[in-house]
Amino acid sequence: MRWWRRRETGTMVGLLLLCVALFIATPYFATVDNLRNVAEQSTVIGTLAIGMTFVIIAGGIDLSVGSVVALSGVVLAMTLRAGTGAAIAVALALLVGAATGAVNGALVTIGRLPPFIATLGTMSVARGLALLLADGRPISGFPDGLRALATARWFGLPVSVMVMLGLFAIAQLVLTRTVLGRFTFAIGGNAEAARLAGIPVRGYTTGTYVIAGVSAALCATLLLARLNSAQPIAGIGYELDAIAAVVIGGTSLLGGSGSVLGTLLGALLMSVLRNGLNLLGVSSYIQQIAIGTVIVSAVLVDMALQRRLRHTPS
Amino acid sequence: MRSLALMRVLGVLVAGALAALTLAACNRGGDSAAAKPVVALVVKTLNNPFFIEMEAGAREVADSLGYELLVQAPEREIDVERQMQIVENLIQRRVSVLALVPNGSRELVPAVVKANGADIPVVIVDTRLDAATLSAAGGRIATFVGSDNVDGGRLAGRFLVEALPSGGQIAVLEGIPGHETGDARLTGFREALASAPSLRIVASQTANWERDQAFTVTQNLLQAHPDLEALFACNDVMALGAVEAIAAAGRTDRIRVVGFDAQDDAQQAIREGRMAATIAQNPRAMGRLAVLSAARLLAGDTLPAEQPVPISLVK
Amino acid sequence: MPSTVGTTTPATTPRLQMRGVRKAFPGVVALDGVDLEVRAGEVHVLLGENGAGKSTLINVLGGALRPDAGAIALNGETVAFSSPRDARARGIAIVHQELALVPALSVAENLLLGAPPARAGFVQRAQLHAEAAAALTVLDPSIDVRQPVSALRLGQQQLVEIARAMRGHPAVLVLDEPTSALTPHEVTRLFDGIRRLTASGTSVIYISHRMDEIAVIGDRITVLRDGRHVTTVPAHPLQHEQLVRWMANRDDVAGDAAADPMPATAEASRVVHRDPRVTPSAGATSRLRVHALSRRGALYDISFSADAGEIVGFAGLLGAGRTELARALFGVDRLDAGEVFVDGLRVHCTHPGDAIRAGFGFVTEDRKGDGLLLMRSVRENIALPLLRSLARFGVVPRPSETTLAEDAVRDLRIRTPSVQQSVLALSGGNQQKVVLAKWLATGARILLLDEPTRGIDVAAKAEIHALIRSLAARGVTVLLFSSELPELLTLADRTLVLRGGRLVGDVARADSSAERLLALAVGAVDAETHAGSAA
Repeated sequence: MRWWRRRETGTMVGLLLLCVALFIATPYFATVDNLRNVAEQSTVIGTLAIGMTFVIIAGGIDLSVGSVVALSGVVLAMTLRAGTGAAIAVALALLVGAATGAVNGALVTIGRLPPFIATLGTMSVARGLALLLADGRPISGFPDGLRALATARWFGLPVSVMVMLGLFAIAQLVLTRTVLGRFTFAIGGNAEAARLAGIPVRGYTTGTYVIAGVSAALCATLLLARLNSAQPIAGIGYELDAIAAVVIGGTSLLGGSGSVLGTLLGALLMSVLRNGLNLLGVSSYIQQIAIGTVIVSAVLVDMALQRRLRHTPS
Repeated sequence: MRSLALMRVLGVLVAGALAALTLAACNRGGDSAAAKPVVALVVKTLNNPFFIEMEAGAREVADSLGYELLVQAPEREIDVERQMQIVENLIQRRVSVLALVPNGSRELVPAVVKANGADIPVVIVDTRLDAATLSAAGGRIATFVGSDNVDGGRLAGRFLVEALPSGGQIAVLEGIPGHETGDARLTGFREALASAPSLRIVASQTANWERDQAFTVTQNLLQAHPDLEALFACNDVMALGAVEAIAAAGRTDRIRVVGFDAQDDAQQAIREGRMAATIAQNPRAMGRLAVLSAARLLAGDTLPAEQPVPISLVK
Repeated sequence: MPSTVGTTTPATTPRLQMRGVRKAFPGVVALDGVDLEVRAGEVHVLLGENGAGKSTLINVLGGALRPDAGAIALNGETVAFSSPRDARARGIAIVHQELALVPALSVAENLLLGAPPARAGFVQRAQLHAEAAAALTVLDPSIDVRQPVSALRLGQQQLVEIARAMRGHPAVLVLDEPTSALTPHEVTRLFDGIRRLTASGTSVIYISHRMDEIAVIGDRITVLRDGRHVTTVPAHPLQHEQLVRWMANRDDVAGDAAADPMPATAEASRVVHRDPRVTPSAGATSRLRVHALSRRGALYDISFSADAGEIVGFAGLLGAGRTELARALFGVDRLDAGEVFVDGLRVHCTHPGDAIRAGFGFVTEDRKGDGLLLMRSVRENIALPLLRSLARFGVVPRPSETTLAEDAVRDLRIRTPSVQQSVLALSGGNQQKVVLAKWLATGARILLLDEPTRGIDVAAKAEIHALIRSLAARGVTVLLFSSELPELLTLADRTLVLRGGRLVGDVARADSSAERLLALAVGAVDAETHAGSAA
């Protein structure tokens, strides 16, 4: 597909125009420091949205990621406080994320529950587990090792940003070039056709939920580095932000098409918007309206696009 | 097919950029680098009348001094990360002074350190930062403006001790765990109760400073403790939620509710007899004092580490 | 059975007149000045390839599209429809191929959808059911109007949809491929209903590719090609070959009447010469041997065998078990009993993956529903079952995939600008070729084809038939499940007839005829087997 026709180009141009508008509106936007901040601020939702992209492309949805952020964050924190090395602690957190993903996958594929309902359930359960493990209190005070993710810099950018970009690059590769990625698109596009072509639909669908869970755990790691604490009430509402980033980026909620690159642009766009509105001193209430408007227009355009595509004479 | 990409651009652009531009136009007012001092007040959330009062007080002083006042907050008190982002963005905005009511006593320390690095003085309001974490990170604040929450808790406890001389069962609604304000109030409350062993706390649950959560939690507590005689909520927002639940269960006459913050609604409830008492913190005074402190800082004064705002019992 | 023409009075103004209708979309001119004239009470057949403009013309007539130019006149009065509702109000009723019924509602509610008999806002149930039953008397009185539409067979649903349109006594009724899911019995009833309608003055525009039906019900035929009106001729005598020639715009159409359903023509005996080594022979090990297959409620003790290079047809009424057998062989549905042997080895397929590995390929009857990934490209669709074997360390190398797809496109002569083209934009015939290509790429040696030419225009149908023959010539075993008897008669070396989930006949080509197969399918004669097909 020619590059100017791709959905991501539209989001990219929208993002650039937003930046230009902010550049005009306030002198504080286009400074190196501020842009660095924006990049860093986008890592939290950005990382979370990577996994969400996979799930949505495969035709599902995952409402539990916010709670999984909390749960894996708490596990990470408790392990670190117990004195274990950062690598093992992170691995354990990733395992927790993967496990919740596997549960989601099983509920959807074997239990045949609609993804919305299944992940709504795990959302509650994971949140409860997080609160239980942490006894309701935030856990803080960690050795410097992991904190470096937020504080250290590589090539002028915070390490967390580099990590996020790296994850996006890997995800893009997986989606476009590997069997896993292609099967994800196939299942989302037409699960029955995929099954008849011999694709193990159940296994690969569960795989996308596992990826979402791991994404959530990675997000929790970045959060812990940034805030120096893990709260069992963290991540409330994050799943909606993640879905917003995916949708603004051009992935269709109906499944079968989309890209991780678009999600990255979507996450950046939301961060830039919030940052700009803060800089301009716009009231928080209006900020909420603005974000909501962007999401709705993005989906409206997406739906209109789908209708145009369906109507091409065949 | 070309129009498809264009439609995308339009859609995303219209909402985002237009919002920014039009609002920028509204917000501009001869905004140049050092014309008027800009004081930023970042509160926990603007969904709580307590902080709206605080904003009002701050605005009074800011207007009279000719300062520009920026008030920002995340949607919910639990959103720590969002508050951190707001602080970071305001630092970029090169505000003259930052007044902050932290959503996380430990979590916001890194943000304060960043403000230090940008030479922006920091005034902490109402909720203290954790001292150990602050000094470990090498951060410093100019002053703390707020009430002594421990004392306030004591006042509330003493009120109930006097109101229930023969003792009884008490339930407690806590704030967000880890918030210094809530913890302090609880500490003071328990201290006051220590002198009256016949008064027992039979349940202590959190409702995260939120009214609807308080309603649900209280409903459940009422089921579990049919002989409850009193309830202490760490803020009025929760107290009012509890009051509704108690009224729905028809036990308004039998349970005394004590809140904290002395919001208008709470005071009304006290007048109507639905609530017993509340602790007045005077958020408006806090707001005023915060901006006054900013003014003094900009003038070069040093301020005392603590500037207490007096509290009183309202019944 | 010549059709009884209704009150056709050539002297009066025609019921419908469309003149110089133009409609263009970005990149394509769908209608380029089309003329159509339909008389009152006639059955006017609209014939043309996919892409000829039939659907667009009907959509313009139905008010869903506004023409860029041209005029429509109803009973001599110029009209311009602003919406489908407007067109309906003026007496234009259209029954599309895709059913527009609400599955959860009852038959009666669907028949009177939008205007149920009501008093003060409350629906009058008894009246609703009475009116609905009345509407169905001619087409199918056996349908219980109280049951939900989803409980009906596809054919019955189609009849309900048609009855709904007929109910309003429209001025013009358009039927788009109305018989695709009907049993021959139902087709007869439909034609009865049509005749009654035309007798009372309604004009019917009938879109179909089935020459035998056109011969029975049509009065006149209009051929469209590339958005233009080519000719309008009487339906009798039916000039098959000439009609196909008018419709097709390509010179390399494989044989004039390759889709000729009449068994008596030269086509039937135009047997493609096969490699003698793979000629079906009774003695050699069969490519496929099936023994006592059973599936509760669908298949009972089915046994047969098929050789390499053989085309075995499966005939039977709807619900007789054709699709169920195909699905069971492919591992989509579970078998309760029975064994399947491929090249002498027992295979146990519980999942399509097993079947693919055993050498099966399955072209389903609903290519859009479960045969293709509509939003993806030709390349991606063709390569889908092979991705894992093409991949190195989980990554799929683009060049090998593209080469695979391009070879397939060339081999099967799929008409597409490139392999990156989304399959959604291809015509029905080419889409079906993509599905075939997908299976051929896996090296499938036993192809299960379920209604392979449904919804495909005549010329493409001929190509696919030729393709099937050449595949058999290469040694592929083809199991052809089809409801089109003419198709089976042309292609199959033998035809097995299913009835009620059982095999009731095994008829060799030489002994086949539409009547014979039909008789077996409906049970007019007892089961019989061909001597040489020992299972």
